[in-house]
Amino acid sequence: MDADNLEKINSILDADVEIREKIKDQVTEFDKRTRNLAGILNRIHSTRSGQMPALLETARPVLASCRESTAAIADIIPPNQFWKWRDMWTNSLRNAVFSATLMEYLQSGGLLSLEQVAGLLGINPEWQDRFALSVEDYLHGVITLVNELSRLAVNAVTLGDFEQPIKISLFVKDVFAGFSMLNLKNDLLRRRYDSLKYDLKKIEEVVYDVSLRKLAPLAKHES
Amino acid sequence: MTSLPPATLASRESILSAFEKFRDELDDHNDRRERLIKVGFLVHGPSSRDITNLSKKLIFLLHRTVTEDAGESEDRVLGLRAATRAKPKLSEIQSLFARLREELAGDRFWRYQRNVSPGLQEYIEALSFAHYLEHKTLISYEQVQSTLTDQEGVPYFVLPLEDYLLGLADLTGELMRFAIASIPRRGGRQKASDICSFVRACKADFEGLTPYLKELRKKQSVTSQSLEKIEDATYAVVVRTSEYDMPPELLDDLVAQTVSRAADRSSYGDEPRRKRARDADYDTDDE
Repeated sequence: MDADNLEKINSILDADVEIREKIKDQVTEFDKRTRNLAGILNRIHSTRSGQMPALLETARPVLASCRESTAAIADIIPPNQFWKWRDMWTNSLRNAVFSATLMEYLQSGGLLSLEQVAGLLGINPEWQDRFALSVEDYLHGVITLVNELSRLAVNAVTLGDFEQPIKISLFVKDVFAGFSMLNLKNDLLRRRYDSLKYDLKKIEEVVYDVSLRKLAPLAKHES
Repeated sequence: MTSLPPATLASRESILSAFEKFRDELDDHNDRRERLIKVGFLVHGPSSRDITNLSKKLIFLLHRTVTEDAGESEDRVLGLRAATRAKPKLSEIQSLFARLREELAGDRFWRYQRNVSPGLQEYIEALSFAHYLEHKTLISYEQVQSTLTDQEGVPYFVLPLEDYLLGLADLTGELMRFAIASIPRRGGRQKASDICSFVRACKADFEGLTPYLKELRKKQSVTSQSLEKIEDATYAVVVRTSEYDMPPELLDDLVAQTVSRAADRSSYGDEPRRKRARDADYDTDDE
């Protein structure tokens, strides 16, 4: 290999190594934030519905701080190289999607749209070729949400909240109907989608237990 | 969250309509992926005209070109002939890359790089083999990139360094085959020893880059095996040659004479075929 060529190769490699190091630092930060957030939200399983708004308040600034991470990463990525590097932060991003959608569900009972999540995480549509929230990442986050809600259905009952499992059941069925519309390839998303039925089953069992024992406010639910 | 537009998906209908958009987007993505795999890059695809297939065929063509003609032993002539034959095939492959340009525009290239990689590497293997036969050098990154660039000098896509290096790593395997096939031919021993040094240099160059590229690390062991095969072959040649104190060309001639004499003898011994040939001669004479 002649010297010119070797030099060219090394300059490409050096540039890549530098970018990778920089991203890695930022992803570490991003990861800390999303873990912190998940840690706070883990308390929903032991929080009565009256205390829930206060808990969400403490989580909000942490979610907002994720904006700094997305901006810092977007800043590093060269134009058109989003897909070259995205594997590095995809886990953190999916966790952030999960937390954001969980918080919204607990507050309004609805599903945060992809655009809304992107907005909350400060992801600028102009960054599209450098940093974006892909459909895949969003859907992974939503599947994690369903996983979590099946746990919450159980724990809410333990805390004496018999209404929550029924709300969760309705919500998760709608989300599942959405997923059923997708033509998924044989990939991780597909496998995780396939596993959703166990969450649905678990939630249904809780609803069944609660209804059978007339614990749930039936009249309200039926009206 | 109150600052957000009131677009939370609060009903089954709104969720379904959002997922409908996701479906379209995912379908679009999967379709493009399939197209890229079929048109250009599948290793065992239904189409015989994909990039991988054409590149493999070109490699076979190059091997045939440099070993078929027993009469021509001039290295330079064979190299030029190989390059001339390779040119139209390479253009054909390059035009396939040009056709995929739109599919790979902007940030899409890196999204589908994994699907593009196998064909691209096979192409670089063929291209670098043709280049070696003509110039006896390793094709540079910029030279490969320039073959994937339109007439205005705009690249179809930026060549990933990894694909360039992995394509070259496969070249060493082709060179091993070439070296071994050359040995029984006139001038082949010298050729094998040239290739041996060349592959050794390649391996050393790659070694410095392996810390950054996992795939290259894997291919290095294959390169080592190829190199060892060439080394063993050239070793055997040197050991045997050392027993005779004469220049390599004379040795070549001696071997060639022995081979041709053996060929003559075998045709004398092959009575039926010779007879038939003579009969055929008489027949044509009669007419």
